[in-house]
Amino acid sequence: MNALPLTSSACPEATSLVSVRAIIYAVCLMTAVCSSSVPADDIPALAPLPKGPPTDAAQAAVGRQLFFDPRLSGDATISCASCHDPEHGWADGQALSRGYPGSKYFRNTPTVLNAVHGTLLYWDGRLPASDIPTVVRDHISEAHFFQADGRLIIERLRQVPEYEEGFRKAFGGEPSYGRILNAVTAFLQTLISKDVPFDRFLQGDESSLTKSAQRGHVLFVGRAGCAQCHNGPMLTDGGFHSLGLTSSPEIFSDPQRHITFRRFFRTLGVPGYEQLRQDPGVYCVSKEGADKELFRTPTLREVAATAPYMHDGQLATLSDVVAFYNEGGGERPSRTSLLQPLRLNQDEQHDLVAFLESLSGTPLDGRRPTIPPYQLRAFGEKQ
Amino acid sequence: MSLFSSIQTGVCLGLAAIVGVSLVGCGEKRDSAAQNTASEQKEPSDSTKASEAPKPSSAPTHIRTAEHNVPATITLADRFPALTPLPDVPVPADNPITDAKVDLGRLLFFDNRLSGDLGTSCASCHDPRMGWGDGQGVSRGYAGTQHWRNSQTTINSAFFTKLFWAGEVPSLEAQAKSAITGNLAGNGDPAMIEERLAQIPDYVTMFREAFGVQRPTFAHVLKAIATFERVAMISRDSPFDQFLSGDHDALSDEAQRGLALFQGKAGCVQCHNGPLMSDEDYHYLDLPQHDVFRTDPLRQVALRYQHYIRGVPEYEYRGAHKDLGLYYTTKVDADKGRFRTPSLRYIEYTAPYMHNGVFSEIEEVIEYYNKGGGDDPNQSPLIRPLNLSEDEQTDLAEFLYSLSGSEIRIPVPRLPEYAIMNPTAGR
Repeated sequence: MNALPLTSSACPEATSLVSVRAIIYAVCLMTAVCSSSVPADDIPALAPLPKGPPTDAAQAAVGRQLFFDPRLSGDATISCASCHDPEHGWADGQALSRGYPGSKYFRNTPTVLNAVHGTLLYWDGRLPASDIPTVVRDHISEAHFFQADGRLIIERLRQVPEYEEGFRKAFGGEPSYGRILNAVTAFLQTLISKDVPFDRFLQGDESSLTKSAQRGHVLFVGRAGCAQCHNGPMLTDGGFHSLGLTSSPEIFSDPQRHITFRRFFRTLGVPGYEQLRQDPGVYCVSKEGADKELFRTPTLREVAATAPYMHDGQLATLSDVVAFYNEGGGERPSRTSLLQPLRLNQDEQHDLVAFLESLSGTPLDGRRPTIPPYQLRAFGEKQ
Repeated sequence: MSLFSSIQTGVCLGLAAIVGVSLVGCGEKRDSAAQNTASEQKEPSDSTKASEAPKPSSAPTHIRTAEHNVPATITLADRFPALTPLPDVPVPADNPITDAKVDLGRLLFFDNRLSGDLGTSCASCHDPRMGWGDGQGVSRGYAGTQHWRNSQTTINSAFFTKLFWAGEVPSLEAQAKSAITGNLAGNGDPAMIEERLAQIPDYVTMFREAFGVQRPTFAHVLKAIATFERVAMISRDSPFDQFLSGDHDALSDEAQRGLALFQGKAGCVQCHNGPLMSDEDYHYLDLPQHDVFRTDPLRQVALRYQHYIRGVPEYEYRGAHKDLGLYYTTKVDADKGRFRTPSLRYIEYTAPYMHNGVFSEIEEVIEYYNKGGGDDPNQSPLIRPLNLSEDEQTDLAEFLYSLSGSEIRIPVPRLPEYAIMNPTAGR
């Protein structure tokens, strides 16, 4: 059995290095390790979710407001919550993310729950979870997300007295781009699963899992092989694998999705981006041939709320996902050898789903705050 | 008498102070036709004669006709580039005009896929139905924003060497780039635009025919739009143009008196001169602020944003209350509020007027100049009370209306549609 030793030195290295190049090397290292044979004993154990980082409540309060405020996007029509919607497990419930108006995105929206506990973010892992402010900046400035100029966002917020006051309380000064990014980051740090049945089970409360879920747990770490990649406290190895999935045809049949797809890989400098017939996955970051069609192992925490599944959302339910793995994965030659037909019967598949459903905590506060309106400023006064 | 001479003196002083340098160049810029007419003119050598004719002569001041070959009572015409018909459109050496570019540019001008969220095309703010401006005092701007300046007509913009109200860019190509990508205008991303156009087969063909390229590029988008503007947005058929070419009846008596005022007592020609009726110089008119800057928070956002991104000093940013014009570029205090003189051609269709659209009718503009503009001592010294009578103001307006030819309207073209160029999905 193969697995990535997430608990050893590879992980701190990946999360502490700042330069993108170093991250890419770390990614390559992970994927290389992943494809080699490692004894089952080395699979990091499933573990309760660690506590979130200490969070400044005042900053998080401003961040919550910003998270729901469409004025962070270029045409002021979409907010973070448009795609990371509390009603859909802080994802959007769509197979493919909507993206900026006129620029439909070509991948599924991942949940932001527990994102701060990740290693690398996005399906291609192009930015590190250790630097959430940069991830937020990427969302604000990229043409396929918010297409917004940070300087314009600053001016918008400075025209809202509630923000002026909130930033003063939280940061001791007026809204600035850095503070905007840090405030949203502080809010994301609060989006940590609570009261997860499986975590209580791991801490000794056997009654918190149904018998079916408990059987599913045994399959998960055993015969079904899920824990080869979905391991550790976040149920992810932080690595990259191909499941052999064929890219969603919509990426190639919907002009707007295809346009966004092409522009994205073009701006990342992917050679021959016009000829791509599959989403190249982490290859767009590493440009290593062996990385083609490999995607980051997502966390399974809160997975029951974040349908549909996979990097382009082509599997609608958890039952579909389990059935997919039971068949041995997809057809693409890139498929990892970790996937083999599992020969699980219907009851076993049902048990696995029951286990996956035990990974969701009680819903976090997703109430939409009142968005304070723009106010006129005393015109021409020095302020 | 003293009135006229004092105006002249004031004008001359103003010229020395403000446009003295450009004056030197003005004579050199005159085309030969203008010089011929000008050379036949004489300075009003006899001030008594001027005083005896307080009622403005109906004669055009620098144009001889059979009936009107007497010198004007007061004329500044000789001191400034003559009002003449428009010359041929200047064409940059690296972007010669072709039919293929015009056809392509016409489509692109109306295509909202050049904007970030597909909500805006060039024609959104340069609408043929609105004189190729947008009919608003201050332009609408990109969704989620409000612009902070009036949308200027694109008619005859091909003749300008300084585009935008403060002359920020030197060519139509550069203007298109700023408008498409500006965060308060098109908010477009060039790479996204190129990829959009690449999935529109008709455009791919047209770019190939127009520029010989295999795929549409942003630079060629700009060249095509600029070429369309150079060809389709020229207005040179105004009554005044007909008058200049010898049809004396093309202007009413009122308009002809207005022309004399324009080049004389009213002093308009100090800045509105040459074939374009713009000196392309910068002047501060101390205009009142448009109300929207007091009533609409997004207008305040836009103004402060402009201050911020142009890097004005902190104290200017904090107190932002008016458009600083040329100062954004030069950071010279004397350039605060100075804007490039707009053309007066086609103005019948381009209300409201001024960089902030504060005047909705030509008559208001005349009234403002007549009272000597604002009260800021730093206002251009070229502007001073004119003491125009009601009739004279009417005459001047008549002349200004004669500067517009037939309205240029083109139907909104049918735009080519997306079609995936690589239909081998999922292979």
